[in-house]
Amino acid sequence: MARDGVVLEVDTVSKSFGALAALSNVSLVVQAGQIFSVIGPNGAGKSTLFNVVSGLHVPTTGRVRFRDRDIAGLAPETINRLGVAKTFQITNIFPEISVFENVRVAAQSRVRESGRLPSLWRLPDVEAAAADLLRAFGLAAKRDEMAENLSHGEQRYLEICLALATEPTLLLLDEPTAGMTPGETKEATALIRQIASARGLTVLLIEHDMSVVMGISDRIAVLHFGEKIAEGAPEEIRSDPKVVEAYLGPPED
Amino acid sequence: MSRALSWRAVVVWVLLAALPVLPFMSKFYLLLAFDALLFGAIAMSLDLLIGYTGLVSFGHAAFFGLGAYASAVLLERGIVSLWACLLFAVLVVGLYALVVSYFSTTRRGIYFALLTLIFAEVVYTFFRYTQTFGGSDGIQGVPPPRLVGGFAIDTPMRNYYLVLVYLGLAYLACRVLVTSHFGKVLVAIRENEDRARFLGYNVQRYKMAVCMISALLTGLGGALYPGRSAFATPDLMLWTVSGEFIIMVMIGGLGTLAGPVVGGAFFVLLQEKVSSYVDWYFIVIGLVLIFIVLFMPKGLLGIRELLGGRRWRATA
Repeated sequence: MARDGVVLEVDTVSKSFGALAALSNVSLVVQAGQIFSVIGPNGAGKSTLFNVVSGLHVPTTGRVRFRDRDIAGLAPETINRLGVAKTFQITNIFPEISVFENVRVAAQSRVRESGRLPSLWRLPDVEAAAADLLRAFGLAAKRDEMAENLSHGEQRYLEICLALATEPTLLLLDEPTAGMTPGETKEATALIRQIASARGLTVLLIEHDMSVVMGISDRIAVLHFGEKIAEGAPEEIRSDPKVVEAYLGPPED
Repeated sequence: MSRALSWRAVVVWVLLAALPVLPFMSKFYLLLAFDALLFGAIAMSLDLLIGYTGLVSFGHAAFFGLGAYASAVLLERGIVSLWACLLFAVLVVGLYALVVSYFSTTRRGIYFALLTLIFAEVVYTFFRYTQTFGGSDGIQGVPPPRLVGGFAIDTPMRNYYLVLVYLGLAYLACRVLVTSHFGKVLVAIRENEDRARFLGYNVQRYKMAVCMISALLTGLGGALYPGRSAFATPDLMLWTVSGEFIIMVMIGGLGTLAGPVVGGAFFVLLQEKVSSYVDWYFIVIGLVLIFIVLFMPKGLLGIRELLGGRRWRATA
């Protein structure tokens, strides 16, 4: 199944919680450098899909391949070390340490000492990488602030900084603009696009805000009640009657 | 921690080193000072878990007690080398800590605390109710350990300097540890362990490692105890002792290292002073502790902050 340029392949993945089928036979292929979005109404199974890819859930059936390696069922830390980083829908940072220390602990995860004996006495210098990230997200002036004191929008950016600091190949963004104002959303969308292309990242994005997805994605898959009902380029999705129905309800005659 | 040894730290160490030559230091006070520094160092080791990693161990008395027994068993049998005692304590405590930390770190919060407590109670019960190591009397009347050749640590002053060196080395080790790569991960685990996993850290391995380090430092402290008291008894590992260790950390200030040293010393001195006046000293101590927890939630070291000092808690 291995093909050049395929970063992530989700192959007929199902996940049920008891009698509830959160995902049924979902397949998708994400190419290198793509921004691939997964959309769908609340409860469509988007977050479950992410949790399966990032290692929080083991799929009930099906396979998940990351760069030709089967990652289904591996621990989150192992999947992260292979090059998949995830941001969270609900801000998930280290609240009572400084912004810089947040990014530092993420960035030092990739240094040579990490997980080895010398890490007990050495403090690797990740200043440059951390400072770059903070600058890119406009957080440089806040580096010594306690993370919990940042505004909501800034915390969302810090969330992305943490994931990026682990130098991923594939970035999973779970509703990165959740809770942002329309203005902030627009700015964040542009920023994500720009950083993804600058770093050569492949991005898998979950959104329910259609305006975000349409502007940023190369390809879009639509989930509805755990099933993939459509996939294609943004303009195809926009005009797909099944998608319109899933979002707006069946047409009234 | 970019600053070099601050002048304040130098003053503190010089004063501690000069303590035995002060005119009012009787043998009794020297032994009291020994206890203050010993329990200060143990509280500091526990702070690695509680203050830095957010793990509350309720079983540190077992590490302390096992260290003391390891040492006493050798001394009783005429193996009086201090180094042998320390090495044996590291082996015994290390083995036990490996088991405890492996199982305890699979659980979080109160379950972690309870597992450490239960393991410690098993050890206590074993030493208390089997006659192998003297039952409830423990091992009594052991000879003092020897540093090199015939040099025995047999006076309160020698014991005091021994414990001062131990405190200094343990402090240095802890200080290096918490400012290292490893220490930063510990703080991240305290702050948000799930997130730390998604950044590629095998959280359980880090927790096990810090438990082992804390346990070994505590066990080494325990190994010095028979040299001062000539005994090791099961009472050293009673669960109330574990509770006292936690209180020492709380009084001193979580996540500061120096705070728990002060907390441990304060607790020992307070207990000694109050109990010399009244029998119901625990009530007095309890009241003092309640006062500290309610009105000085950042511990004794929090006073520095009120006086315009540095931030009280390790930022990472």
